[in-house]
Formats: sequence, C-alpha cells, structure tokens
Amino acid sequence: VGATPDQRALSDDEAFARYVLPEVEVLLRVALSRTRNAADAEDLVQDTLLRAYRAIGRFDGSYPRAWLLTILRNAQANRVRRRRPSLLRNPDAGQRLQESRDALPSAEALVVGQAFDATVEDAVARLPTRFRHVVELVDIDGLSYQEAADALGVPVGTVMSRLHRARHRIRTRLTAAGLVPRSHK
Amino acid sequence: MTWRRHTVVDRPLTCREVGKLLQRYLDGHTDEHATAKVAEHLEDCRRCGLEAGIYREIKAALARQATVLPETTLARLRRFGQQLATEGPPDAPAGDGDHGGPS
Repeated sequence: VGATPDQRALSDDEAFARYVLPEVEVLLRVALSRTRNAADAEDLVQDTLLRAYRAIGRFDGSYPRAWLLTILRNAQANRVRRRRPSLLRNPDAGQRLQESRDALPSAEALVVGQAFDATVEDAVARLPTRFRHVVELVDIDGLSYQEAADALGVPVGTVMSRLHRARHRIRTRLTAAGLVPRSHK
Repeated sequence: MTWRRHTVVDRPLTCREVGKLLQRYLDGHTDEHATAKVAEHLEDCRRCGLEAGIYREIKAALARQATVLPETTLARLRRFGQQLATEGPPDAPAGDGDHGGPS
C-alpha cells in the first residue's frame, strides 16, 4: 500500500533491515532518556523493534526514524499504562524516575568548566518534566526538532517553545551561580 | 533544515529581533537570509555576541552530558533486530498483534 518503486523491490525482511536496523542506536539513546534505566530501555527498544517488524509491510519507506520514534513513544505509553496506572492522572509523575538518573553513566565532562557543567546538569534536573524531555532529546541526544516532536507526540512549535524556555531557565541558574553575566534583555 | 521561514527585513536587525531568532539560529533552523542577518548583528553587537556565546556554551555543556551507550545492550539489540529480519519474531507474542509479517 503506497509503496515507492524502490520499496516494491524489497521484501518485508529487506525493508526491516534497510529502514529499521540502522536506527537501533538512536532508539536505544532515546529509550534511555525516556526510561532512565538500562534494562527498561532495552525492553522498550525490543518492543519497538517487534512492533516495527509487524508493521513494516505498511511502511512506505519515508522518514524511518520519525516512524520508529512514534512507535517507541506508543510502546512506552502502553508499558507505562500497564505498569503504573496512576501515572495516567499525572503526566509529570515520571519526574520520580529522576532519582535513578545517577544509575546511568554519562560522558566524561571536560575538565574545563566543571562548575559550569555541574550547574547546567543540576539546572536540567530541576526543569519541569516536559521541558527536561525536550532538552534531553534535542540538546543531549542530538535529535532534530521534528524528531523530538515525533518522539514526544507534540507539534514542532511546542518542541521549540519548550526548548527555548528550558535553555533560558538554565541560563538563569548559571547567572544565579555567578558563572555568567546577567542578561540585559 | 529550516523549520519555518521567518521574514527578516533588509535593514540591520535590532537586539530584540536577534533575541527572538537567536535560539533557532544557534540550532541551524533559520533560513539563509535570517542566518546572515543574525550573524552580521552578532559580529557588531558585543552584548548579543556575548549572549550567543553563553547559549553556545550551554548547548556544548548539554552535549557533554550525552549518555555513553552500554555497548553490550546495543550489541544485544542489534542481534535481536537481525534475528527478526532473518528468522522472524521469537515464539512469545508481544505488542499489538499487528501482523505485517515477513514474506
């Protein structure tokens, strides 16, 4: 259905290998950001791969990363519903998972500006969840605005607005810590 | 690349106008014309140039927080994906029962 000429030549297995397998690393990165737990992230990516495998016959081959991030988001929503029914009433309750943040290894910070980096990290941890998720996906995991919008299920404009407000909050904390001058605007 | 075209006038931009475009500019989401106008302003305006520098540092600090992916997990998931492509799903059903199936 709606297959491109290119895809007509591909079996489902070939399409899966071409469109899905190259994205496993990005899926794991996003899953780690979203679950903050390596085991949960692995389960989530497995679930996403299975769903993608079952749906590959209906995928037209365009924007595989966006398609997969949407599948991952839906898979995670199902898992959250199954495991934590109470979260449905409180979208920000995922903040509790923040406590397990230290369980994840992070890249070695450069020696230069350790106070700066530590303040930024602390500021991110204090962001409201909806802001923090966007910062994690775009600024930390390196997704584009559109990919973050697909992963979160919100419009691109919302991603931009949350991202810019989040960075402004981080900047405010750096100012309070005396690490950068006050903004004149 | 560009999320949305923003009308940017031909005269030099004001600090307020640059302030509104700055984040998109730093993310590479302004069009060619806006990018040139903002860059021109940042070169001439010390205050806005400083502001841009601070946000560049923030973005760099955030990028340094990127999680080091657990290699063994990544390898397991790649293997799982390759097995799906060559052998199909494992016996245990999972997901929404939405069958596209291998051909």
